[in-house]
Amino acid sequence: MSCETTAASHQLVDHLFRNRAGQMVAWLTRIFGAAHLDLAEEVVQDALVKALQQWPYTGVPDNPGGWLFRVARNRALDVLRRTAAFQERAQQIAADLERIADLDPANEHAIEDDELRMVFMCCHPALTQDARVALSLKTAGGFSVAEIASAFLTSEATVAQRLVRAKRTLREHRVGLDLPRGEELASRVDSVLEVIYLLFNEGYNAHAGETLVRDDLCGEALRLGRLVALSSQITAPAAHALSALMAFQAARLPARTDANGEMVLLEDQDRSKWDRRLVAMGFAHLERSAQGPDLTAYHVQAAIAAVHAGAATAAGTKWDQILSLYDELMAINPSPVIALNRAVALAKVHGPRVALEALLAIEDDPALSNYYLLPSVKGRLLAELGDRAAAADCFNQALARPSTEPERRFLRRRLHACAD
Amino acid sequence: MAKYMLLLHDDTAAFANISPEQMQKVIEKYVAWGRRLREKGVMRGGEKLTDEPGKVMRSANGQVRVTDGPYSESKEVLGGYYLLEADSYEQAVEYAKDCPQLEYGGTIEVRQVDVM
Repeated sequence: MSCETTAASHQLVDHLFRNRAGQMVAWLTRIFGAAHLDLAEEVVQDALVKALQQWPYTGVPDNPGGWLFRVARNRALDVLRRTAAFQERAQQIAADLERIADLDPANEHAIEDDELRMVFMCCHPALTQDARVALSLKTAGGFSVAEIASAFLTSEATVAQRLVRAKRTLREHRVGLDLPRGEELASRVDSVLEVIYLLFNEGYNAHAGETLVRDDLCGEALRLGRLVALSSQITAPAAHALSALMAFQAARLPARTDANGEMVLLEDQDRSKWDRRLVAMGFAHLERSAQGPDLTAYHVQAAIAAVHAGAATAAGTKWDQILSLYDELMAINPSPVIALNRAVALAKVHGPRVALEALLAIEDDPALSNYYLLPSVKGRLLAELGDRAAAADCFNQALARPSTEPERRFLRRRLHACAD
Repeated sequence: MAKYMLLLHDDTAAFANISPEQMQKVIEKYVAWGRRLREKGVMRGGEKLTDEPGKVMRSANGQVRVTDGPYSESKEVLGGYYLLEADSYEQAVEYAKDCPQLEYGGTIEVRQVDVM
């Protein structure tokens, strides 16, 4: 095809390759069998490379996602012919592969079901938490080893090894792409949501380094959360609650950093920059999370995020509502990090002195000994009370703990303000 | 106006470890480059060559010998070509300069089409 015909070359949807990679791996793994996950990944990689080689000359085809699926299918049929392990099932597999012929949009549901099963496989309880995270990103999410390594500040070799081990464990336990049923399903959903929330938080609160936000991780976590929430196979109000929480928080990402990449606190954010589409998505999921008797920590956290999302200005924030939600959250999950966040709400409602007293209870908690936000919050409360020397001490302590570069610059600005 | 052929030699190893996300970015860059040249009205076409090594034919002592090649031993293969219109080599090179081919270890050979 000549280049002149590509005048109408189509735009690619954001993350199309990454998302399609995850979908195609899930689809082929179902057809080949879970034991052939590596083969499925190889076929998908080949299909993507084919697009990379052709599209610069031919332009992007009408239906790029369908094109990728068709090329992957043809490649899979080649593989089928020369892989001895498939001899007995070859006809069945070929028939299953052919069924993809007119993929979009009729089969979209079937593909989502494959993806969902893949997420459950990647979060199987036989795997360690680290392995679940790495495998979910690689296999379900279409991230590369290098991307996972950089997101988690570890080496590519570590991630690669983790993936090899995880796949071996899955084979040893003969884990398939089956959705668990009954009681087991509920506990498996919990484990899946836990991994998704971990992914989101890793993106939202990067531990160190220059990048404050790894938007891609947040986006992928939200995508997976919605996949679980919106599946017709599963009724999980907690998945809606988590999706609501992630959508509200993701909506604030464009306002969390200013034009210079500096961190902007919630109360100082330009709320017109919040992503309205994501806010609306958050409220929609929040509504659906109320079906059923469950009240999980995700529900309460989503409700807190909704109060912020519903406040047109920082001054208009209903802090009394937020404080009582934090009380509820402490009842469900009494963790020192939540107690710290509660102290911020306490300060807004009852003043900094009351909040400082509340901090005494968690100040020596070993879980917070390396957490820069504890001294940072304390410093801000002391500064509010006019005790600049004590506040400066706190900001120095916070700077001695691990944080990202934008966070450190933020702390230094606070420290300088104490000296003015 | 003269025609120039851009022969794109690919480094076959360059894309071995690239992520799906990066692949998409690379494609988007090529597409944007092609669009810019079409908007200028200078892009006259382009085609990709297949991945097989191809055949090389030689005649020796009256016998035609056909071998695989010419790239079977090499890391670089001729991946495809574009045809552009330009006033001079200088301008053709200017058009090719921001082709993403050069960002990923590939090379571009620029040749003017001879018009008798």
